[in-house]
Amino acid sequence: MLAVESAIGRFRRDLTVAAALRLTLLGAAVVAFAGGSFIPRLNTPVLLLAVMGAWMFLSYRSVRGSRLAAMSPLLIAAGEFDQAEQRIDEALHSFSLFRTVKLLTLHHLAMLRHAQHRWRDAADLCRELLAQRLGAVRNLSRSTRLMLADAMLELNDLPGAFNALNGLYSERLTLSEAMNLLAVQSDYLARIGAWDPLLDQLKSKLQLVELMNSPNAARTQGFMALAAKAKGDAALATFLRRRVELLIDRQELLSHRPLLAGIWEGSSDEKKNESNETNQEIDPQIDTD
Amino acid sequence: MATNPAESLDVHAMIADSAPRPRGMWVWGFSLSILAVMLLGEFAASRQPNLAATIHGATGLATIALVVAAVVVAITAVRRQRAEQRAVAVLEERVQLNRWDEAIALLRQLLSSPMRLPVAWAQALLWLAMALIRFERFEDAIALHDHLLEHVPMDPATAHGVRLARAMAMLREDHLVDADRALSDLRRGGATAQSAGLALIEIYRDIRTGHPAEAIDIFESRRDLLRTQLSHRSADAWALAARGYDLIGRPADAAAAYENATLLSSPAELHRRYPELSSLEGKYAPATLPAGVA
Repeated sequence: MLAVESAIGRFRRDLTVAAALRLTLLGAAVVAFAGGSFIPRLNTPVLLLAVMGAWMFLSYRSVRGSRLAAMSPLLIAAGEFDQAEQRIDEALHSFSLFRTVKLLTLHHLAMLRHAQHRWRDAADLCRELLAQRLGAVRNLSRSTRLMLADAMLELNDLPGAFNALNGLYSERLTLSEAMNLLAVQSDYLARIGAWDPLLDQLKSKLQLVELMNSPNAARTQGFMALAAKAKGDAALATFLRRRVELLIDRQELLSHRPLLAGIWEGSSDEKKNESNETNQEIDPQIDTD
Repeated sequence: MATNPAESLDVHAMIADSAPRPRGMWVWGFSLSILAVMLLGEFAASRQPNLAATIHGATGLATIALVVAAVVVAITAVRRQRAEQRAVAVLEERVQLNRWDEAIALLRQLLSSPMRLPVAWAQALLWLAMALIRFERFEDAIALHDHLLEHVPMDPATAHGVRLARAMAMLREDHLVDADRALSDLRRGGATAQSAGLALIEIYRDIRTGHPAEAIDIFESRRDLLRTQLSHRSADAWALAARGYDLIGRPADAAAAYENATLLSSPAELHRRYPELSSLEGKYAPATLPAGVA
């Protein structure tokens, strides 16, 4: 497995080497053009051709890394983490003249670590990316911030999550980013007990929730149910809790977000569960007797 | 009655007009021009040694002008490609948010002239197929899916999704034999155990062909899979199960399943998707929505 520190070290070194190479080629092109007046034996077209040839050769070499980088998100989405790791490793070790390829590769590594639930590594990689000048791939900053906020929540670092989310409110988000933001923001608001903002614009939020995958849809509506309960809206809390029950197994949900146990407290299901647990405790005694 | 915004879509013309054409010939054009300028410059300099410095300077200037022009053309091409990708992303959002009038206007605009990126083209055609199904133009949707499967390279997951949508369109159009064959092909693909989409279509086929007990068997054995993979769209499976329970005379189960379905999705949307559910309307109560949601 790629160590995050060495990946970041390599990434920084490659960016420096690529920048130096680009500067060298640019300098050679300037000399080829302007130096003709000062250096009589300088053959401008030949030198320009050499610079162009070198640029094209290095660009061609960079395409390999770009192709490797492009494959990784599909592999991560398919859960094929080992293959994704291998591709990212190759992309990280391949030469690229362009910053974007390296930035994308590091972003994919952050995505992989996030998918593997290696929150500390994902957070370090996201911070490294956000510290860079993203240029042509500046839209990466939004998904990186979302990943960072989620990782911070998983690490129970609420101020860190707040800082990561803060930069997103002024941005224009895509639908999928808006869904991710809603999921992460609901988690954060529930942890700090900000119930009113959780239920703001509920109808629009539910429209987004209905497009989410099961775990996120269940969690987000679970947090909303907690808010409804805290605000004394029993009908809304029950409606949202029943939706949660239809979307995910209760134990699975609670194993990731124990806080959500609160949505069953005092409900008829909770009483039923308690009575089942009591019966299970009694039954062995009956058998033994 | 509201007008159907997809009514006048000419699918075959849209496919033909929007197919990407080979572009990139300009790269060769610029490369050959640069080479020609250099060779001519060298030839001229060898014939006029006293003017060699001037000729080399002029050749260098012409080369730089050509390189700058090539860079401008490349940047313009990249910008147009990015604009196309953004348009397809916007199209996806419009479809997902059920903003169909805007989605169809965008489809018309995107597919009226050759697209630049084969991937963006394939995605736009997939959203067109979804629009055709949404507006019940099933024959056109089947033809478009056939075209996609035959001519457009896709990853296995996307191809599976296209085959599922095609089978669903066949069922809705009453091409039952074709649909059965399509489902057999899907099962042969080894997707039976893992695909909630396939389970949903099999449930629908059994409801449509009057085999409710089989539909319920599939529903009950794959309930976890349906929930995990379909999220809120598992409402479809609950609604079809409600119809199945109703048909085999289990009204209590039918009522519970119908309530679950309408907890996850609006009854109007479910009835639009599956005309077979019309008999449940009024017979079973949908879920009661709280004030802030209704």
